[in-house]
Amino acid sequence: MTSTSEKTVPGAVGTAGGGPKTGRGRPVRHRDHAVPHWLFVVPALVVYSIVVLCPSLAGVMYAFTDWSGIGGFSFTGTENFRTLFDDGRALESVTNTLLLTIAVVVVQNGIGLLLALGVHTGIKSRALLRLIFFAPAVVSPVMVAILWKYVYNPENGAGLNGLLGAVGLGSLRQDWLGDPSLALWSVAAMVVWQYAGYSMVVFLAGLQGVPAELHEAARIDGAGSWQRFRYVTWPLLAPALTINLMLSTIGGLKLFDQVYAATNGGPGTSSETLSTVLYKEAFVYGKFGYSTAVALVLALFVAAVSLVQLRYLRAREVTA
Amino acid sequence: MTTGSRFRPDRSTVGRRGFLRIGGGVAALAALPPALTACSDSGGGSGKLRVVGVADQQKPIEELVALYRKSRPGDEFATSFAPTDQVQTVVRTQLAGGNAPDVHVLYPGSGSAMSMVELAKAGLLADLSAQPWAREVPANFHPAYQHDGKTYLYSAGSSVIGAIHNKKAFARAGVEPPKTWSELLDVCAKLKAKGTIPIALGTQTPWVTQLITYALVPNAVYAKNPGFDAEMASGKAHFRGSGWADAMGKYQELQRRGFFNENPNGTTYEQQTSMVASGRAAMAVQVSAVLANFRQAARNPDDLGMFPFPGGDDAGQLWIPAGIVVGLGVSARSRKSAAAKEFIEFLGKQENVDRWAQSVAAIPFKRGASTKTDPVLDGFLPLIDDNRAVPFMDQSWPNAEVQPAHFAAVQNLLAGKTDVDGALGQMDEAYGKKS
Repeated sequence: MTSTSEKTVPGAVGTAGGGPKTGRGRPVRHRDHAVPHWLFVVPALVVYSIVVLCPSLAGVMYAFTDWSGIGGFSFTGTENFRTLFDDGRALESVTNTLLLTIAVVVVQNGIGLLLALGVHTGIKSRALLRLIFFAPAVVSPVMVAILWKYVYNPENGAGLNGLLGAVGLGSLRQDWLGDPSLALWSVAAMVVWQYAGYSMVVFLAGLQGVPAELHEAARIDGAGSWQRFRYVTWPLLAPALTINLMLSTIGGLKLFDQVYAATNGGPGTSSETLSTVLYKEAFVYGKFGYSTAVALVLALFVAAVSLVQLRYLRAREVTA
Repeated sequence: MTTGSRFRPDRSTVGRRGFLRIGGGVAALAALPPALTACSDSGGGSGKLRVVGVADQQKPIEELVALYRKSRPGDEFATSFAPTDQVQTVVRTQLAGGNAPDVHVLYPGSGSAMSMVELAKAGLLADLSAQPWAREVPANFHPAYQHDGKTYLYSAGSSVIGAIHNKKAFARAGVEPPKTWSELLDVCAKLKAKGTIPIALGTQTPWVTQLITYALVPNAVYAKNPGFDAEMASGKAHFRGSGWADAMGKYQELQRRGFFNENPNGTTYEQQTSMVASGRAAMAVQVSAVLANFRQAARNPDDLGMFPFPGGDDAGQLWIPAGIVVGLGVSARSRKSAAAKEFIEFLGKQENVDRWAQSVAAIPFKRGASTKTDPVLDGFLPLIDDNRAVPFMDQSWPNAEVQPAHFAAVQNLLAGKTDVDGALGQMDEAYGKKS
């Protein structure tokens, strides 16, 4: 992008006469004591500091205290962090968070890619299908969880179990949210259902950016559809893949709403994630100091994973 | 690509004076809301008394606010309600931020982050000891209402835990409400033989997990050792190795005999309610405060009854759990403290205590000549009057972690992921943590 270097100001475009004028036709006087540009950032920076930076820094401070959320507090050094690394429930939640993230990232993006390839073809109903696939992404996660609790109704004749029974697959009926070994994966399926359409849209944008002439050239060279996908489409989808993997990884690592609304971390603690643990520590147990320490560790973990992922994915991106 | 505009990136278009003028305007705008607030505060806030309650208590609170306003049409209220977990989060955050509602939900005794003891210790509650009704709270309820000899909680009374049953389902199987544990097992077996689920259980909803243990523990623990809480507090007793093991064992026995619906951990409270209301299940161990929800779900509310859940084999020595229901407190920092206390004083009048209690099927903490309790509670009143009722166990636990540990322990027990000893070990570990 380039700009012209004429001595005019916005609004002076199209005015006649010698020298710059405003839209109203008055000549503009350039002042010698003009304000440096960085000053324009100040109001936004002040608001950002008040709303985001200061609370975040205060949060870091509270991670080193025994604050209960009400009343005073005292500094406890690194005790909260030592407790965290000795806390079996917190460590179980780290495992659950990682498993959930891996499942969501892999399956959501896999399905998203397949959907994108499907609706990128010339089928007549593609616009409607895109709308249908994307629609769950705009629904509140809590609403989705409530809806899926009906789908996961454990009774034989209801929801998914009812459907399985109706198509002769009654032996596959499960206690989807009540079985500790299944609950986490049931939540993962719910998240994939909601956001696969979101991944689809990002992949679709990537697919639409692949030049048709490259496909044509490959076709002339005798490449089949799989080879065209593997050697033309896939490399050029790398930027879309980077975005999708980043968003789904970050979303998976801090997943809260769906887990809390669907299982509340149960049965027992089998679907507890780091986010549900930090919520409960703060608002159920009244341990804000400890909860903030969990939040700090989670934030640093998400940042580290994201940076490593971004570095790796950026390195393999190519442009047309 | 070139831009069509002729913007000069190297020179600013606003002079210092202009910038300062804009800055001054922004500052004035930013200062406006607090200034406006200050103006309204001088007149007593927005003029409305803010009341935040738990959704289960919405009906009585709204009714009593409307009644209060009849005699004081000038007094305005802003009421809001939310389910337990949400209201706890919101009010606790407001308390931390110093902008708590004037009158807010308050949980009796200790054992939760929003309990009376927890908030009173932090100096966040106004003392209600001078109110006439506070002097009428029976001594055995003092731990729920008072901290350090001062009353901070207003609650209409106590609710009981028992078995809400579908009379038609019982009649179909030709059985009557049981009076002993052995009779209960017998009744359940007959109901099951008739194809009716004997006991509906929805332990996917965490608070439902605790009710059967609470129903059994009074007989298993407190009937034998009324000083158990003190022994726990001093470290002499533990959940493991106490009567709790007997109660948990009986819970497990009911499951082992197939007396619950399939997959209780995947079943919600709403599904449990529906099962009993429709007669697919014969009973559910529940707190009387939710009886209204069961009646609402039933085709005919009179189809439902309630009886004490028999935890022991001596029908004449049955003990039951009866806990003070969630109530209200006044924020110590309320700018409308006088108006808030006047409202609470109004709630404390006998007729209003009765109204609130009747609305949530509770037993008023004081009973007058005109007091009427829900007829389904008739079977519980003699036990309460005979001092064979113990508060809900969590109301005396030292921190907010024991109750969720109990929820998780029961879910794990039902899922076969732990045994009674392991479940009680989890609870002992939580009990030992600092508050």
